[in-house]
Amino acid sequence: MRSAVSHTLKRKFAQTFDLPPAVLLDQAAIHLFGDTEAKIVNHKGLVQYTTTCIKTRSSQGLIEITGEDLEIVSFSSSEIKILGVIRQVMLK
Amino acid sequence: MTSLWLWWQGYVTIRLRGPGLERLLNKIADLDIVLFQVERLTSDVVIARLRVQDFRRLRPLVRDSHISVSILDKHGAPFLLRRFKLRGFLAIGCLLSFLLIMYLANFIWFIEVSGNSTLAAETLKEALEDLQLRAGMVRSAVQPRLIEVELLKRFPDLAWAQVEVQGVKLEVILTERDGLDVEQAGPGHIYAAADALITELLVLRGTPQVRDGSTVRKGELLISGEYYDHRGVKQFGAAQGVVKGRVWYEGVGEAALSRWEAVKTGRSHRQYVLAIGPLRVPLGRSYPEETHLREAREWSLSLGRALVPINWSRINYHEVEYVRTAVPRDQAERAAYELAWESLRRQGVAEELVLEERSWVEAVADADGIRVTVQVEVLEEIGLFMTH
Repeated sequence: MRSAVSHTLKRKFAQTFDLPPAVLLDQAAIHLFGDTEAKIVNHKGLVQYTTTCIKTRSSQGLIEITGEDLEIVSFSSSEIKILGVIRQVMLK
Repeated sequence: MTSLWLWWQGYVTIRLRGPGLERLLNKIADLDIVLFQVERLTSDVVIARLRVQDFRRLRPLVRDSHISVSILDKHGAPFLLRRFKLRGFLAIGCLLSFLLIMYLANFIWFIEVSGNSTLAAETLKEALEDLQLRAGMVRSAVQPRLIEVELLKRFPDLAWAQVEVQGVKLEVILTERDGLDVEQAGPGHIYAAADALITELLVLRGTPQVRDGSTVRKGELLISGEYYDHRGVKQFGAAQGVVKGRVWYEGVGEAALSRWEAVKTGRSHRQYVLAIGPLRVPLGRSYPEETHLREAREWSLSLGRALVPINWSRINYHEVEYVRTAVPRDQAERAAYELAWESLRRQGVAEELVLEERSWVEAVADADGIRVTVQVEVLEEIGLFMTH
């Protein structure tokens, strides 16, 4: 209950001061560069890593990227950079 | 993708094998360790790259899990330096090679001439050598502007000369004139380039001042640029025409009837010389050329097309005595005749254009030699256009 209130307040604050909600709400950001490169910022951990599917946790739920020859080119606590043929990006 | 900075810091390629690899990857990331090129090989094997200093921090994480970690490869500057530390001579060799390359880069090793179509390569080569331009010279000694000016002065047929130093290569780019464009040259007359007997006169524009069969002196006016056009108006333009004439040339050659021949006494000495660029280190003494014949053999170090300025020479000095011997008269005459013809060739006479040739032999004043004079008559274009 308290977290829902805090979430609403933060969103309102972001809207009032025209700030990016991702910063205040600790949301994950997914950047897609064509269909060969993806960058997930502010993830909460890797769940599954295969060459056809990469799943990561985020404050919004599970981010699933499917494709072919997927490879994590850099992996840190805040960012995952993926290369390969990206077919689908899902938020579950 | 590994950056140059990562290479400089040094990084390792590791293999992680075991169940629940994603959990371990998350734990690694939580320690603020960045993994690069994380490749999934099989369901229980992942290959990743990380900085050397981060690798030590993995130990506590791996100790509590069922995952084994092994180093597959080491990359980067720290490992390279360590290898050099173990192989001191390799490092010294690399350093010396680098210094040698740096030193050799200070010289000109190739001279490339382009754009000459009528100018003979040999003539250009001689001119460049005369201007102290040769392979092996120090780059800083090259004065491109000076060479360009000198080339243009020496070869009036050149419209443009450019000298560029590109690394160890010196490029001489030339552009020759297409021929004198009389229209562009402005009004002028055609004069005789040499003393001659006119055999053919064809006027395209202008007024002829001589006739077929006239004898003319060098510099005499042949075709005037002044003429009357079809309306009878006096014009002054560029004279055009063909004037051919018989021109005489004379060449003189001298040859001695005796010569001094060097006869070996049988005594000889040997000397070795090591040359590194401009530095020459002689091993053994040298002997004067007045009393010794010099016989040298050189070995140069070459790397493909490039010539390295290191060579080793062996010089044999043979002691000689000079003895005077007589030269047969016919041999001397032949030699003098050849010299006379050389002199004619230098004046621009081509043997195939000679209509008539005369020669005579005289004794020189001290009677120890002969002089051969060759006179030739050549048919050639003698008209020389000059602007007014």
